[in-house]
Amino acid sequence: MNDIDEQLREIIPGLRRFAVSLTRNTSSADDLVQACLERALSSWGSKRAEGDLRAWLFSILYRQFLDAHRRSRRYARMLDFFTGRDDAQPSVERTVIAQSTLNAFDRLPTEQRALLLWVSVEGLSYKEVAEILDVPTGTVMSRLSRARQALRQLSDGEINRPSLRRLK
Amino acid sequence: MISMPPSERDLHAYVDHQLSDADRRLVETFLASNPEISAQVRAWQLDAQQLRAALGGALQQPANPNLDPALIRRRLKHQSRRHLASAAVLLIAVGVGGFSGWQARQMTLVGAPLPMTDALQAYRLIAQQEILPADYKASDDGDMQGWLDRYFNRANRLPDLAGAGFKPVSGRLLSTDQGPAAMVVYENLRGQRISFYVRPPGPKNFMLPRGSRSDGDLQAEYWSGGGYNYAMVSPADTAAAQMLRQTANF
Repeated sequence: MNDIDEQLREIIPGLRRFAVSLTRNTSSADDLVQACLERALSSWGSKRAEGDLRAWLFSILYRQFLDAHRRSRRYARMLDFFTGRDDAQPSVERTVIAQSTLNAFDRLPTEQRALLLWVSVEGLSYKEVAEILDVPTGTVMSRLSRARQALRQLSDGEINRPSLRRLK
Repeated sequence: MISMPPSERDLHAYVDHQLSDADRRLVETFLASNPEISAQVRAWQLDAQQLRAALGGALQQPANPNLDPALIRRRLKHQSRRHLASAAVLLIAVGVGGFSGWQARQMTLVGAPLPMTDALQAYRLIAQQEILPADYKASDDGDMQGWLDRYFNRANRLPDLAGAGFKPVSGRLLSTDQGPAAMVVYENLRGQRISFYVRPPGPKNFMLPRGSRSDGDLQAEYWSGGGYNYAMVSPADTAAAQMLRQTANF
């Protein structure tokens, strides 16, 4: 038990980062991580697949996000009515270096954000990502290629925005 | 061994360090004599680097004790005992004015929900466990009705429980699988709490006759009116619960 908990504690910062990149909001992100850990710990014996613990946790968290997101979209209009604003704005605490890349990243669709984070940031293998998404490795590679192109285009767009147009 | 010229996939695999050493050298040789493709690969590498730098800070968040595995384990053990007490409803808390976004948690699914189960859940989350903070706190002149009217202006008026010593102190907006909801917490001088809960009847326009039921340590009085469903929730077996049960019309 303590051994497992130690392993989990090491992975938690990465899970929180992944959750922030999905929800763009630190408090929702921690809720998501908590739900993910609850799920993982309660299905440990029966569901825990062989292989990388990190990839398994990423996949639980990702599915939970998608499920919750799908449900919450049904109420999106109502949420707007209550909050009067779009909650999908990146929060201030994420205003850090490499702003244009980060801005571009935040504008990508969910799956592309997840892919880039898993591969470029967390260094998961294509095979591990294929298992998370439950698609063939080739599909991961073509989706990754599209995600990179999209990030590239959006980053260029960020740099070329009128207020930032210094290069010529 | 990959073939030359490398495919786009090979180039991505190169960027991601997923090629064998031999393949890696092949690609490097190829890139050295193909500046255009080399520039593209470098741009991808740079994007990945910047992304790592930009997201690096997110690893340095202060620890959140709620995420400790040992604590979660204990909580799970505790919850499994109350498994059957919770019911089927999705509760999304909406932070207004604050920075919290959606917080969704699917509750355990146990058959068809009983009337106003969400009101009981909201009471547990807000009035008992204080997991969700209030959106609105009544000041001394506390216009709780005004706050509620901003969202539910056609709804029944807040019941006046001053005679029993309870005053509205705070409000919280929620969303449920039946639509947006609001809960107002009343408190007496001894810190006991009663909640008033209002939400639409849902897509099936399900109206409730005046009724009462208990669920675990709580009691819910429910009814419909003005196009909404309502519940008053309080701890069971208290004077307040008895007073509520004997109230025919709130």
